[in-house]
Amino acid sequence: VKNPSSSLKSRFITRFLGALTKINAEDPISSPSPTRILQLYRRIKVASNKSMAYSVRSRRIWSRAMLSRFRSRRSAFSGRRSSVKTTNCTTINVTINENKTAKGGLDMQTDELRELVPGGEAMDVCNLLDETAHYIKCLTTQVQVMRKIVDFCHISKKSSM
Amino acid sequence: MHTELLSIFSKSKPQSRKKKKEKLVPSSSISFIIKSKKTLIMQPCSREMQAMNSLLNPTQQIPLQDLQINGNSHHHQQIHVPSSSQFQYPTPTSTTHHDDSFLEQILSSTTSFPWSDETGPPNPEDNNNAGFNYDEMVLASKLRQHQINGGAAGNPFSAMKMMLMMQQQQQQQQMMLAGRPTVASAAAGGGITTNHQGGEGSMQALYNVFGDGSLHGTMQAKSFVGANSATEMTQSQGSGPTAGEAVTAPEKPKQRVRARRGQATDPHSIAERLRRVRIAERMKALQELVPNANKTDKASMLDEIIDYVKFLQLQVKVLSMSRLGGAAAVAPLVSEGGGDCIQTSANGGSHPRNSNGDQTPSANDRLTMTEHQVAKLMEEDMGSAMQYLQEKGLCLMPISLATAISTATSRSRNPMMNHENPTNGSHLLIQSSGGDGPSSPSMSVLTVQSATMGNGGLEGGAASVSKP
Repeated sequence: VKNPSSSLKSRFITRFLGALTKINAEDPISSPSPTRILQLYRRIKVASNKSMAYSVRSRRIWSRAMLSRFRSRRSAFSGRRSSVKTTNCTTINVTINENKTAKGGLDMQTDELRELVPGGEAMDVCNLLDETAHYIKCLTTQVQVMRKIVDFCHISKKSSM
Repeated sequence: MHTELLSIFSKSKPQSRKKKKEKLVPSSSISFIIKSKKTLIMQPCSREMQAMNSLLNPTQQIPLQDLQINGNSHHHQQIHVPSSSQFQYPTPTSTTHHDDSFLEQILSSTTSFPWSDETGPPNPEDNNNAGFNYDEMVLASKLRQHQINGGAAGNPFSAMKMMLMMQQQQQQQQMMLAGRPTVASAAAGGGITTNHQGGEGSMQALYNVFGDGSLHGTMQAKSFVGANSATEMTQSQGSGPTAGEAVTAPEKPKQRVRARRGQATDPHSIAERLRRVRIAERMKALQELVPNANKTDKASMLDEIIDYVKFLQLQVKVLSMSRLGGAAAVAPLVSEGGGDCIQTSANGGSHPRNSNGDQTPSANDRLTMTEHQVAKLMEEDMGSAMQYLQEKGLCLMPISLATAISTATSRSRNPMMNHENPTNGSHLLIQSSGGDGPSSPSMSVLTVQSATMGNGGLEGGAASVSKP
């Protein structure tokens, strides 16, 4: 029986490594300027999430939402409008969390889950839970792979040093 | 047609004499049938009444047959003949008839229902029919009650269902009297389940009862009737379930096993139930994925799930940071980009912000508290410190990274950028002890929850406690 997560993992690995090498090729890492590094960090994060989303292809609602978000973000990247939007979202998030009490039953949590999982706003609870499960699985794969890469880098760095 | 049936019944008559008194005496009942059938047909003015009458008839026929079936085994084969012939009789004719009339015909040979005074059986047969008529009276009262309640008087389907239930009960009674409870319970169980399922099922159950002791001869009748009934049921399907529900409530049988309330055929409740079941399934699947899934409460489980998702997203960010060429590059990142990342996660959002070093005082306070506690613990006993960290969901990173962070942050002026998730979920505890941070112990601990990582952080190295 073919294990779907392993193939997902391999797909993600190949894509992510490809993206990393591309980023590495564009700009050498040794430049320590903070803004530059920040930029790189963001790119890597985006590359990681993107490669995961692409590995899932469009089989899942969250991956589809994520992909559309990437595409829209890329188009609106010039004016940095997307980041402005996100700050607004975070401020709203703060107020919501402060008002969070247990009285709302499960609605509060489901709303929060909707915010976390990309594309979760337009899903009913049943599908939301389903998507969350798959999303968690993909995230764990992502983290595993990245951690392994980090360890590998560390080891190689140590040996080189 | 009546004479035919009469002969059929008369064949089985001698056998029935051996049976107990409560059982049917076919001969008397047959004359009763013939007498009352005409009156019955003339009596109902509306079509629904007619249908109900015809529906009522099987209730008597079934016990008749089953009693014969349940009787001595050597009567079994003989019984098959009448039953099969009975069934085969209506089939050729009813193809041309309407559904209601078909039912009428198939039940034409049965004893009629004593509709109050008009169809009272003749006196000399009263003694023989005592037991049987009593049941009939019971059924009549039930039916009248049903009619009075007006649940679905115009609905032959619901009447069918009701009659099926009553018949089941009656059957059960008689089965128990006959000492064959298994068949009765099976039939009753079938009847009950069919109440739940709806039209086709009830028809099937009806003919299952018929077919319990009979051979394949009935099968064709069964299938034909099933098809017919299906068409009939679909006609009345909409009002059927709701009517059936209404019907079950007001009846008060003596020994009848009732259709369970939880099995209400209301489509809304069914959909609701289905939805709940699916959600429960998904929750269970999520429980397996998320660690610390020992919570039984749905709300706390959702909280756990939310925290875990946040934590994973955070880990991706952290790891993407550390990806950037090792320790050297990480430190400034931690100071600036990390603050970003931490703060946003502190606020429960996963959107990075551009502002650097923007911290809310509440986050600071919380983290310094934890930091102090961990520091205290570390001074006393490493094990307990680790335990405390792990209980909080933290673990320690390899020394190399931590030392890099500490050296880097000692350069840059960096207040305590601590962050703690109050719900004890994902934690990113970065304590940068600058060289200029005198009060707090200089503990560089970059902690990431190690739940599923197999203590990847721990295996890298020992706890990095560097005191100035």
